[in-house]
Amino acid sequence: MSVLTIKDVTKLFPGGTKAVDSFSLEVADGELVCLLGPSGSGKSTLLRMVGGFETPSAGLIAIDGEDITRMPPEKRPTGMVFQSHALWTHMDVFKNLAFGLKLRRLPATEIKRKVEAVLELVGLGGYGSRRVTQLSGGQQQRVALARSLVLEPKILLLDEPFASLDQHLRERLREEVRDIQQRVGITTLFVTHGQDEALSMADRIVVMRDGGTEQIDRPDVVYRNPQTPFVAGFIGTMNLLEGTVANGIFTRASFSHPLAVADGPATLAIRPEALDVTPAEPGAAKVHRVTDYGTHGLLDLDLPDDTRLKAMVSHPAQYRHGMGVNLTPRAVSAYRNNAQIFRSEA
Amino acid sequence: MTATEAGALAPAPTQRKRPIGLLLVAVPVLLVLWLIIWPIISAMIQTIWLPTPEGGRSLSVSSYEFFINDPYSRANLSITLWTTAVCAVLLLVVCLPIALYLRFSDSKLAAYVQGLAIFPMFVPSIILSFAFIRVLGPNGTVDLLLNSVGLPKIKSPYLTPWGPVIGLVWDNIPLTVLILLSGLGNVSNQAIEAARDVGAGRFALLWHIILPRVSNSILVAISFAVLGIFSAFTLPYILGPAAPEMMGPFMQRTFRDLFDPTNAITQAVITFGFCILFGLFYVRSVAKNRTP
Amino acid sequence: MSTTIKVARPVDWTGIFFAVVLTLVIVVPLLVVGTWAFTNVWRFPSVIPQEFGLKFWYQTLARADVWSSITMSLTLATTVTLISAVICLPAAYAFARMDFPGRDILFFSFLAGHAFPKFGLLVAIAGIFLQLNLIGTFWGVVLIQLVGTLLFMIWIPVAAFQSVDRRMEEAARDVGASPFRVFWSITLPQAGPTIAAALLLSFVGTFYETEGAWLIGAPQVRTLPVLMISFINNQPVIQYGAVLSVLLWVPSFIALLFARRVVNSGSFAKGFGA
Repeated sequence: MSVLTIKDVTKLFPGGTKAVDSFSLEVADGELVCLLGPSGSGKSTLLRMVGGFETPSAGLIAIDGEDITRMPPEKRPTGMVFQSHALWTHMDVFKNLAFGLKLRRLPATEIKRKVEAVLELVGLGGYGSRRVTQLSGGQQQRVALARSLVLEPKILLLDEPFASLDQHLRERLREEVRDIQQRVGITTLFVTHGQDEALSMADRIVVMRDGGTEQIDRPDVVYRNPQTPFVAGFIGTMNLLEGTVANGIFTRASFSHPLAVADGPATLAIRPEALDVTPAEPGAAKVHRVTDYGTHGLLDLDLPDDTRLKAMVSHPAQYRHGMGVNLTPRAVSAYRNNAQIFRSEA
Repeated sequence: MTATEAGALAPAPTQRKRPIGLLLVAVPVLLVLWLIIWPIISAMIQTIWLPTPEGGRSLSVSSYEFFINDPYSRANLSITLWTTAVCAVLLLVVCLPIALYLRFSDSKLAAYVQGLAIFPMFVPSIILSFAFIRVLGPNGTVDLLLNSVGLPKIKSPYLTPWGPVIGLVWDNIPLTVLILLSGLGNVSNQAIEAARDVGAGRFALLWHIILPRVSNSILVAISFAVLGIFSAFTLPYILGPAAPEMMGPFMQRTFRDLFDPTNAITQAVITFGFCILFGLFYVRSVAKNRTP
Repeated sequence: MSTTIKVARPVDWTGIFFAVVLTLVIVVPLLVVGTWAFTNVWRFPSVIPQEFGLKFWYQTLARADVWSSITMSLTLATTVTLISAVICLPAAYAFARMDFPGRDILFFSFLAGHAFPKFGLLVAIAGIFLQLNLIGTFWGVVLIQLVGTLLFMIWIPVAAFQSVDRRMEEAARDVGASPFRVFWSITLPQAGPTIAAALLLSFVGTFYETEGAWLIGAPQVRTLPVLMISFINNQPVIQYGAVLSVLLWVPSFIALLFARRVVNSGSFAKGFGA
């Protein structure tokens, strides 16, 4: 039942660098929003400002309309799950979960009931007396999540929670966390630099760069219709071609494609799966390398000026190094001055 | 201890809580100012700003002149310099081979040797003095054993200048070994192996590869030992000769038995002067280790 | 020094040499003292005592001066350790976690005492105490010992606090703990073992400190090591000193049990500038 509002928030670091630059976002009740960006994009700083660990230089943060911008973290109705878990190693699992409840002076029986319930929720029923150092990485992560959830915060904050886990565990846990989040129905803000995590878990993704917002959209929209060349290049594999448009034709070296925009420079973005390849000699590009993934193949293609392109093909066996090919994009987006100027769907 | 390893003042905290931080460190810092910095300054002032017969005070170096012109004071100073030099040399001669052995040995005995070398750290020097007298003193254990096989008694080092030397070396073995060992840790096995690969023998290895890399640690170990030995009190007081005596007992006697604080403090300032280079070098090394 | 695969380990003659020599010069003298403590009669030239027994334990422990100096030493060491903890731990926390003007220079100021030969410094301090009538008083000795504990009671806990993961503290703030509660429930327990080592070091260091106690305190304030000096100098009965030595070694033995691992690690020597 909680809405998080972030309005024109700016964070200046000593020395004058802008970690976050007038950022605004509204997270709806029960929604999971992912802050996605490379390191240094300001996403963690933003999350820490919502948690109360950093104070915004300007702007407003509110939960359900109540201004919490200058409230210390211990007073805020937020629960944070930290990167590397930050479990208290001198306490067992039960005490880790009970600490916050004890501070709220709940009766012991009530604490016990709540802790056991939340341990069940994260699939760690009966683990209360374990030392946290005896747990595996995934179990520690679940305890960290449980420690936040047990206090029933209005907003759940996750700071790259899977960064220290291996690939396999990461995939399993993000499903679990998404599951739990939907079951509890908690409003969640999630920071990650892994696009897979963002695409698979989020209701909406905020792509961040240099402290600002590049795009805020549903994951499928961010993937299919990136609004800036940065988003296009950051999410998924993308061929980004710098070229010029003249008389409705985009040209880069030997490659050309009709593009109905005004004349001038442009960046063309084509997904490898949207780039059709047909053998032709001499062809617009040469095959550099063929990689066979079993289900499909990936071609590395070189234009005469050594621009590298990637194309997905269903029968990689028919291609060889040095072969000539012609290229036909099925869907493209085009950008000029950091904004989308054209888009076609397959 | 991972603790001391972590660079001292590493992370620049983001929050600025100026007044509170200063308040929290105020008491220990004031103690340092009052009981270390001020006594040193005051000692220097006090010994050159002496009371005059007329009741006032004036600038004078007469207490230093007295020290320099007094043959007994000079003898005490030279016995102190002699003891310090002999101890420093002996410590190196004893501890460097032990440290080298500990660094390059993979034998099971190494742990035992290291345990023994560090053990004196856990024996207070007062117990050491007592043990020294019982073993090397007149009719001590050594005499007993020699006597039982029909040999004459030893000429006991107890109450001779060699008494404090033996005691001080014994007392300083652990830290000297530890400091040297830590320095030898900087010599990588690969550097050794590379040198052997190009044909360096044991001596060449020690001289050209190992010693150049531990020279700083050797200096630190010597500085630490010199600072401790130059003004040592307990061991020279109990084990050393009554006259001439080392600076430690000399200062103590001047201060407490002769009730002559001015001359005692003059003697203290003179020990500062003789040790200042070692002191600064030592402090600089410690500080360097603690800075990120 | 052979680096190839060894089938039979060559005899470690160097190690045997060091082990034998060090045993002779380090262990044997202490064994001799231990033997004396449990000896009723040992007259020259017998190699072993004529009569073993606890006679001198009863006699030593019946002496009032022994008990008063044990009490004095324990009171002194406890007082100094407590005061040192109270003033140094908050300061160490401030150095570790806060920023304030002069932080670095103040942090390194604790090294000042180590640039000078110790007894010289003690005499200079005694010069100050003389004007304040602190010579021969309990609190004079407390002050002089307190100064001796400052460096490691600040530096060791600073390192301990800094090694506590900041996110652990933030997680505690996040679940509702006030900054003081975070320090009490998270930071202090996490840094606990290292701080305990510093406290132990402070206690043992004060317990055995002889020079300051002798210069400032004697004869009014008589700690165990000071009593031991007078036993060595003036007491014809050897066993008194031997029994007192064994008693005196107890805190050191406890420290040995706890601190051995700490001392053997390379970082300990680094603290001494190696």
